[in-house]
Parts: sequence; structure tokens; C-alpha cells
Amino acid sequence: MSELTHTQLLRRLLSLSWRYWRQCLAVFGYQVVLLALGVSGLGLSGLAIDVIRHALEGGTPAPRWPLGFTPPPWTTPGLLGLLGGLVLVAALARALLNYRYSVAAGELLQMRLVPELRTGVFDKLQRLSFRFFDQNASGSIFNRVTGDVQSVRSFVDGVLLQGAIMLLSLAVYLSYMLRTHVLLTLSCLALTPLLWLFTNLFARWVAPAYRKNRELADRMVLAMSEGVSGIQVTKVFGREQAELARFEAHNALVRDQQRAIFVKVSRFGPTIDFISQLNIGVLLLYGGSLVARQAMTLGDLIVFAGLLQQFSAQVSSMAGIVNTLQQSLTGARRVFEVLDAPLEVEDPKQPRAPTELRGHLRFEHVEFGYAKDQPVLTDLSFDIEPGACVAVLGATGSGKSTLLSLIPRFYDPTRGRILLDGVDLKDLALDYLRRNIGLVFQESLLFHSSVAQNIAFGNPEASREQIEHAARVAGAHEFVQQLPQGYDTVLEEGAVNLSGGQRQRLAIARALLLEPKILLLDDPTTAVDAQTEHEVLEAMDAAIEGRTTIVVANRLSTLRRADWILVIDDGRIVERGTHAELLKNHGIYYRAASLQAADQDSIVLLEALGRRL
Amino acid sequence: MSERARAGARERESEEGRARDRARGRRTAERLPIAPEADQKPLDFAIVKRIFSYTKPYRRLRNGLFGLVVLRSIQLPLVTWATAKVISGPVANHDVRGTAFGVAGYLALTGFTSFCFVYRQRFALLLGEAVVHDLRLQVYEHLLRLPMSFFKKVQVGKLIGRITSDVDVVRVGVQDVAFISIVQIGSMLVSAALMLYYDWKLCLVVLIMAPVLWTLLRHFRRLASAAYRAQQESFSRVAATLAESVSGIREIQGFVRQELNGGLFEQLIYDHSRYNMVSAKQSAIFLPMLELNGQLFLAILLVVGGYQALGGEVPLQSLIQFLFLSTAFFGAISPLGNQYNQALTAMAGAERVFDLLDTQPDWQDAPDAQDLPVIAGRVEFSHVSFAYEPGRPVLHDLEFTALPGQTVALVGFTGSGKSSIVNLVAKLYLAQSGQILIDGQEIKSVTSSSLHRQIASVTQDNFLFAGSVLENIRLARPSASDEEVRAAAVALDINDVIDDLPQGFATEIGEKGAGLSLGQRQVVCFVRAMLADPRILILDEATSSVDTVTESRLQHALMKLLRGRTSFVVAHRLSTIRHADLVLVLDQGRIVESGNHRELLALGGRYARMYQQFVSSTDLGVATLGK
Repeated sequence: MSELTHTQLLRRLLSLSWRYWRQCLAVFGYQVVLLALGVSGLGLSGLAIDVIRHALEGGTPAPRWPLGFTPPPWTTPGLLGLLGGLVLVAALARALLNYRYSVAAGELLQMRLVPELRTGVFDKLQRLSFRFFDQNASGSIFNRVTGDVQSVRSFVDGVLLQGAIMLLSLAVYLSYMLRTHVLLTLSCLALTPLLWLFTNLFARWVAPAYRKNRELADRMVLAMSEGVSGIQVTKVFGREQAELARFEAHNALVRDQQRAIFVKVSRFGPTIDFISQLNIGVLLLYGGSLVARQAMTLGDLIVFAGLLQQFSAQVSSMAGIVNTLQQSLTGARRVFEVLDAPLEVEDPKQPRAPTELRGHLRFEHVEFGYAKDQPVLTDLSFDIEPGACVAVLGATGSGKSTLLSLIPRFYDPTRGRILLDGVDLKDLALDYLRRNIGLVFQESLLFHSSVAQNIAFGNPEASREQIEHAARVAGAHEFVQQLPQGYDTVLEEGAVNLSGGQRQRLAIARALLLEPKILLLDDPTTAVDAQTEHEVLEAMDAAIEGRTTIVVANRLSTLRRADWILVIDDGRIVERGTHAELLKNHGIYYRAASLQAADQDSIVLLEALGRRL
Repeated sequence: MSERARAGARERESEEGRARDRARGRRTAERLPIAPEADQKPLDFAIVKRIFSYTKPYRRLRNGLFGLVVLRSIQLPLVTWATAKVISGPVANHDVRGTAFGVAGYLALTGFTSFCFVYRQRFALLLGEAVVHDLRLQVYEHLLRLPMSFFKKVQVGKLIGRITSDVDVVRVGVQDVAFISIVQIGSMLVSAALMLYYDWKLCLVVLIMAPVLWTLLRHFRRLASAAYRAQQESFSRVAATLAESVSGIREIQGFVRQELNGGLFEQLIYDHSRYNMVSAKQSAIFLPMLELNGQLFLAILLVVGGYQALGGEVPLQSLIQFLFLSTAFFGAISPLGNQYNQALTAMAGAERVFDLLDTQPDWQDAPDAQDLPVIAGRVEFSHVSFAYEPGRPVLHDLEFTALPGQTVALVGFTGSGKSSIVNLVAKLYLAQSGQILIDGQEIKSVTSSSLHRQIASVTQDNFLFAGSVLENIRLARPSASDEEVRAAAVALDINDVIDDLPQGFATEIGEKGAGLSLGQRQVVCFVRAMLADPRILILDEATSSVDTVTESRLQHALMKLLRGRTSFVVAHRLSTIRHADLVLVLDQGRIVESGNHRELLALGGRYARMYQQFVSSTDLGVATLGK
């Protein structure tokens, strides 16, 4: 998949935001009014000072009432009361509007944008081919629905809205200040670009240092987590001291690298601070002389000081916005990656769904690789009669499980084709195909819900009779009944309260619920200990009855149950035949089998024993 | 001006934090506007004291910081005062010269303040980092001392939480809470004193409003914490469903559940969103109220103060001073509330860390334990009983002797106690009663390290550290040369497996053995055990995670590894057991049969039955297999 450029990303984000333009506009509108009220509150208090001063000291200039407003001919205390009242009214209005604003922003972000995006990403995720899940760690997939969606959100509120608000505020403050005194404004703001520059330079300098620090910290955590996971190795080899030294080296690296950062960080804050203080200094000096020359009122000066502070605050928030933009782009890239990922496995244009399935499976020169030019399966051809059971043997990584995953179309072959009852799988409706396949994995994931819900996973509408029937066939009915709430017992996460054999029998029941014509079993006994293996095998015997079955297996006990066996090595079929035929072959199958077989000597002993018993 | 100035004061104090966040790329905006109250106990001064005991090695740093902080708490209100002083004094009096002097004084004051702030920040950061470093080291050192039984009970993730998030909140406690609180309280006191000096009546108004504001703050924090919890809970439901859906994607697609699942997830998402909204609405009430409070004071000040000024009771100068100083005073309240919360969070984190540090090992080497000399490898169990948890014994009264060089196979169902026996031999646990003798020496009377030098083990989980293959093997004997490592692999006849890796012995292994197949990992573990050249060898299901095809290859190496050592083999395949000198058949922690393979078969008991079952399930047609 080609990477989206920044411009493309930005365009995508903007078009996404455009969907919510009405809400954005409303939120923005509230801000405009809020800003106006804030500035007028500030102006009113300045005015009050001037009113008092004018009344007290005859020589001072008359207060400048805004917008050509002429005060009522009240006494000074009356005017003060009016101003105080106005301040209060403005404040109340602000409080009310502020509430409305926050709610509107919340509605937009929390009730619309985030859930809509999350649902969209989740829906897409569920339909993506397994390739996506192979290529991404589950943590990273998880984050796309949670954190990364938040990053997209922060583009809307942190970049678009905040940016607009910032520009608007700057414009309002600036025009207010310029209206008061142009030259004073300019001289006070002369240092402001410096503020912006420093903030940016600092962020640019310190970001890589922190990135480095995060890496070091990650390594330190890794050293510890390894030390804990490998504690038994450490203890048995008596390596505690070496382990401690290893950890301390990482730990000290983190600390020492921080020191350099601290020196810079501790200089940055005060410098920025001092620059804004200098601005105030300029204001006092120049503004003071203006007041002295009666070119400006004292109240205006105080208002000016307030505005100046707000102006600096807005300027320094600019760095934050730029930073948010960068992060939201990173997050957005990962969200769009999911939304744009091609559905590799798609429903055919004219899906077929035959009413009657026999279960005849045929592989024709099938080739498959997860990555280009690295075939995992090469030129597989075989034919399974309806109702037959075929076992697949091979080393880890030989391609057994991959072979199975081609049948429900978790992946599509890169070459060749697979036919079910003579129809190419690609021409069948995807849901139809999958509903006709029962799946049991090495370690089947059972969900944190009731036993009944787990068995009915493929068809939540299934009746209790259907569920119990499936459980009976899979030999699970008895132990399920012994659970505290029977079929309504809620399984713990990972179903740890069940034995391996019990879990697999539930998995088999789940696979059987839909009465599939095809059953795929991926080494169902491998994670089960020897003592419960036979329970699973018995369930399996009942399950494969009348279904076309492919079972990946390592254990002879399972292999022996198959009508015939495919031996796969490095993605190719190297041996095929019945158990007896393959034993004569003296190949891979023979070697694996003899490892598990009893020796001649013991058999003789046992036979003697058998006669005696 | 009040709101902004207040925010300014708050910001200045947390500038270091913001700068850090900004640089680390965290979004400050996403933090809740009102820090929710953590699930709280009141401040516990014993814990606070203990936290601060970690600053002792850095006494000079800490005391310097303390001095700077007190200085700053005076400086901050003074800067505000100076601003107001210049405005209300020379500026109001049209005294240009005086203004210039005033501004010069003001700049000198702020310059000095900023200068001190550099060191106040640096010292705090250094102190925090130093304490965090020491704590981490102490935690890890302590962990390494704890016996295996501890690790059986806890999850790695939780332990990592201790040295990351928990230690980090302690850092905040050390570098920020106490010192920022001093600054804020100090500034409030100094501002209050100044206001008192200018006009005690107006000051009273301010003082009355302070507790109102404080109460308001606490009230909303409490509300917020309830909402926050609901938010967290609904999110954990979202997260759990999401995690299940990601790990269960095979099941979901295989059983065609996308539609249904999507619907369920959507419900959860909207549910979570509603809780987010509740939170948002709360802060939507709270923040405007905070601002309203400031504006209310402003209105009172203008009207009341204005009347007084007009009546000549108060000079205008004082009124202006009040305008500025009151913002400094009120501005300190909200950060103080934050600091209080931070303190509680830090305390909770510290408590978890200290709990871990205070965990006493169940047992330690006896103080008079002796180093074990080079042993022949005789292992004797005499009336050994053992339980992981009191009252739930897993081994009962075991009796057996393994002679030097013998192979002992342990056979039995899951939970019969096989692994417990090898854990006792390796002294990873101590038996509650009975004796385990190594070459006649009671295992409790020897040091663990001297015993471990003569033991090696290969287990099912074949743990490898991140690093090269060579480093992993050398773990067994750090002094071994490259040639010796290779020789160990050659001796087992599996050097070709390692040579086939991309960079042979230099191949880098990822976290938890990533990049190597199970079989390759097991090979590395075998060589590691071989290099250790132990007198006692433990193989706990050493080949059971490997597929049968690979296993047939490893079987050969296994035999070579066993040769000449006292070995304990736990295996689930009976075929591995045939060659053992002694087979112990275990059932629920008791030895029910013992002897060699032939003897046990002849006995016709449990072992024979197990074997028969095995043979019948793997009936290969004996004739074809015979030699």
C-alpha cells in the first residue's frame, strides 16, 4: 500500500471534517460571541478605573466610552454601579454561552465524530483479510480504533477549531489594541515573534531528545520485563548479579540522558517567561509616558496589559496547534490505512449459493504466499471425496495451517483454484461458504460470555435444542451440565476455568452447530494434555461423521483416524497415502510415527501381559 | 484580565510539565480540565515521609530546591505588586522619570525571578529523576531476590506498571507536589498580606470568597471522579470487546459474525460516548463558574472599592493594587487543588511500589548456608512433602534416590507433581517437610548460587533474552570463548541448525525469542544447557512444544546431553522414557510405581496400562517397524 503524503492526508482530514461543517460552524459561532464578551468585560473594568480617576483627579482625561456611547447623566457612584452590573451581565452571559459552547463541542466530537469513526474503523477491521492481522501487532490494531481515532478527533478540535479560534482571537485583540494606540501595540508586540521562534526551536530541539529518551526508557522496561519473564532461567543459571547490572546499565542511561534535557528544559520556561515580562516592561515604560502625556487613559493601559497577556498566551498556543497537527497526521494515517485497506477477499459479483452441498473439495495447482515471491504453498493438487477425512502432517512452518485457511477464503490462492462441488470458491457467496464450514483451531478462542452463547456463536438465533444437540455430538453436554449454571455459565476470559479438552469440545460443538458439510480441524489435540486427548478424539470421531474433513495433526492417534494422509514439507506435498502405505515409505511420516511408536521389545512384553491379564 | 492572569500563574508553575508533554508529543488538551479525584484515602504522612527519605542521598539538591521555592513564593506576588505599583504610582502620577525607574526595577526583579526559576526547575527535575532511578533499581533488585513462588502469582504487566507508571507518579510527588504547593501557599500568604496592608476591608471580601471557591472546586472534583469512573468502566468494556475481536478475528470471520459484532460494538461505543458527554458537561458547568467567580469579585471590587475610593477612604492606588493582587491570590487556589490530587495519586502509586518492596521472600538461603563443592550428582528425596499454597499439598512423602549419572523419568498426568519435583531439585522452591540431599548434603544448608552453578535446565517455554544467539548460549557460562560455545553445539550435533540461521551464532533474537522458530529456540536452549556442563540436568517437557518432525531431530541431541549427568526428565511422550534408569510414576503427588521401563511393564500396573493405551492408539503395525 502506498503511503499517503502529508497533503493527501490533510485533504482527507479536511473532507472528513467537512461532513460536520454545520456543527463546526455553530461551535465557532459561540466562540466569536464569547470572545466579544470577554473583551468587553475587560474594557468595562478599565473604563471603571477611568471613571473613578476622572471623578477624583480633575486633570485626567475623560473616560472614553466605547462605540460612541454617551453615559447617562448619572452621578459617579451610579455609573460605577452600572459598570459593575454590566461586568456581571457580561460574565453571566459568558458563563451561559461557555456552557452551550462546551456542550456543542462535546456533541460534535463525542457523540458524532468519534463514535462514527470508531464504528467505521471497527467494521472495516472485521472484514479485512487476515493479511492485515498478520502484518500488524494486535496492540497496534487495537490502537487504531482507540488512540488513533482520538488523534483524528484532535485534528478537528485541536487544529481546525483551535486554529480558527486562535486566529480570530489574535485578530480581535490586535484590532482592539491597535484602536487604542497603534505605536504602543507595535512596540509591545515587537518581541512576540521571538516568543514564537523560541517555542518552535525548543520543540524542535527537544523532541528528538525526548524520542531518544523514550527509546531508552523502552529498553529499560524491556530489560525488566525480560528479566521477570526469564526469571527461572536467571535463577537456575545463577545470573542474578549480571541481570541486575544489565538493568542498571539501562536505568542509568535513561537518567544520564535526561540530565542534558533538563538543563535545556529548565532554561526554556524562564526565558519565555522573561520575554513576556519584557513586553510588559515596554508597555509600562512607553504606555506610562503616554499616560503622562495624557495621550492615553490609565484604564486603557490596564486593559492593554490584560490584552497583551492574552495575546502572548495565544501565540504560545500556536506551537501546541502545530504539534497537534503533526500528531493527528500520524494517527490519521493509521486510521486511513484501515479504512483504505483493500478487502482482498471479496464477494463475487454474482454469488452462487447452491441449495445442496455434497462437500467435494478439489485443489488444482494451488499456490499461495503471504509475501510476493515467497510461496508458502506450491502447486498443491488433490481431491477429497464427499465425507472423506484427510489428515495433514508437516513440520511447523511447512504450510499446513495456511492450507486450511484457504478453504474458508481467509486468503485467496495466488495461483490455481479450489473447487467445492465443482464450483470455484471465488464464485460462491462468501457468507454462504463460511457458514458451510466448521472450524476448530489449535487453541480455540472462547469468548467471555455464556457456554450457550459460545456454542451458538455462528448462529445466535439457534434454539436451546440445537445447542444441546451440538454439545452432545461433541461430547460436551455432560460436563456443561455440571457447570454451576449449566449452559448459562459465563466463561472466564480465555475460559481458564475449563480444561484444554473441555475447551476443545466446546469448540467442536460450536463448529457443528450449523451442521457444516465441511469440517476443518487445525491440530485440535496439540494444546491438550495426554490425559484429556482421548476425550477430544472421541468428540472428533463423532464430528467427522458424514462431513468432508481436513485435519492437521501431529499425533499418531489423530493421524490414524484419517482415510488418507498428506505430508507437507516446505509447502509441497511430499508424501500421500494411507497410514499403512506411508509407513512402508520410510520417509518423513515413518520417522515421525516411529518416534511415537512403541518398540518391539515393549510390545512383546505387553502382549505377554495381555495374555496374563 | 483576571482569568488570563490566573491561567498565566498556573502555567508558569507547570511550564516544565507542559514543555515536556509538548516535546514528547502528548496532547495536553486531551487531559481532563478538572483532574478527577483518584480513589482516595486521605494523605498518609508515613508514606510521604518514606517517599522523601529517598531524597536523603541528594540532600544538598533538595535543600537548595527548598530555598529556591521559598524565594519564589515571595517573588511571584512581588512581581505582580511591582506591576501594579508602577501603574498606580508613577504612571498614574504622570511621572515619566519615576516610570522609567519603576520599569527598571520591575525588569530587574523579573530578571532575577526568571534566573532563580531556571535552577528551581532544574533542581526539581534532577531530584525527581534521581529518586525515580533509585526506586527502579531498588524494585528490580528486590524482584531478583524474590523466590519463584512470587512470580507464579503476579503478572509481568503489573510489575512493569510498578517501575513505569507508579514510579512516575512518585516522581511527580517528589519534584512537584510539595514544592509547587509551597510556592502557591506562599504566594497566597504574601498577596494576602499585601492586600491587608492596602485595605483590610476589601481584603476581607477576598478572604471570604476563597473558601467558597475551594469548596466549589472540591465539589466538582468529586462529581468529576464519579463521572470519570463511569467513563473508565465503559471504556474498559469497549476495550475488552475490541481486544476479543482482534484476537478472535478467525472465529468472527469463520463463523460470519461481522454484522452482529459490529452492532454490539457500536452500542458500546455510543454508551462510552454518552459517559464522555456527562464528563464534558460537568466541566462545561465548572469552568464557567470558576470564571464567573472571578468576574463577580471584579464587579464587587469596582462597586465597593469604587465607592470607597470616591469617598476618599481608599486611594485609587490601592484599588489598582487589588485588581492585580487578587488575581494572584485566586490564581493559586486551583493549582493547589490540583497539587492535592497529585499528592493523593502519588501516594497511591508509592503505596503500590512500597508494597512490592515490602514483600518478604517466603524463604531465603539460611544465613549459615555453605557453598556446595563440585558434586558427583547423587540426589536423594527423603519423606519430602510440598505445597505451593498452604493447605493444598502437591507432593506427599516422596522417597527416591537418583545415583550420579542416572536418568530419572517422571511420568504422570497434568497436576500429578512432576514439575514440582524438578523445581525442588533446582531449589526454586523449598519443601515444607522432609529432606532433599545432594551428594548427602541437605539442600537447605547449601547456597542457591553454588547449587545453580551445577544445574542446568531446558523447559517447555524455552525462554531466550533479546540479544544474539551467542550471548544467549553464553549466559550459561559467561567466561566461555566463542570456540567453546561452538564446541558445545558440535557436541550435540546440532550446530548446523544454528549455522543455518541468517547470521549463524551472531543472529539477533528479538524480544521473547522472536525471529526463531520453536525448534530453533529449543536448539539454542539445548546448547546453552550443554555449555553449562552441569552435574544435574533438568528437562521439563523440553520437546513438547516442538512438532513431531522437528522432535525426531532433537531426540538425538537430547540423548547426548543426558550422557554422564544426573538427569530429571519430565516428558509427555512415553517414547522418551524407555531409556530412563528410573521411572517414577506419579499420581496426585505420590509415587505409585517406580523402576525401569521393563520392570514397570512387567509389573502390569498403572504404567503398563498407560503404555498399552499409548501403543494401541499408535498401532503402527508392528511388523513394518521392526528392524
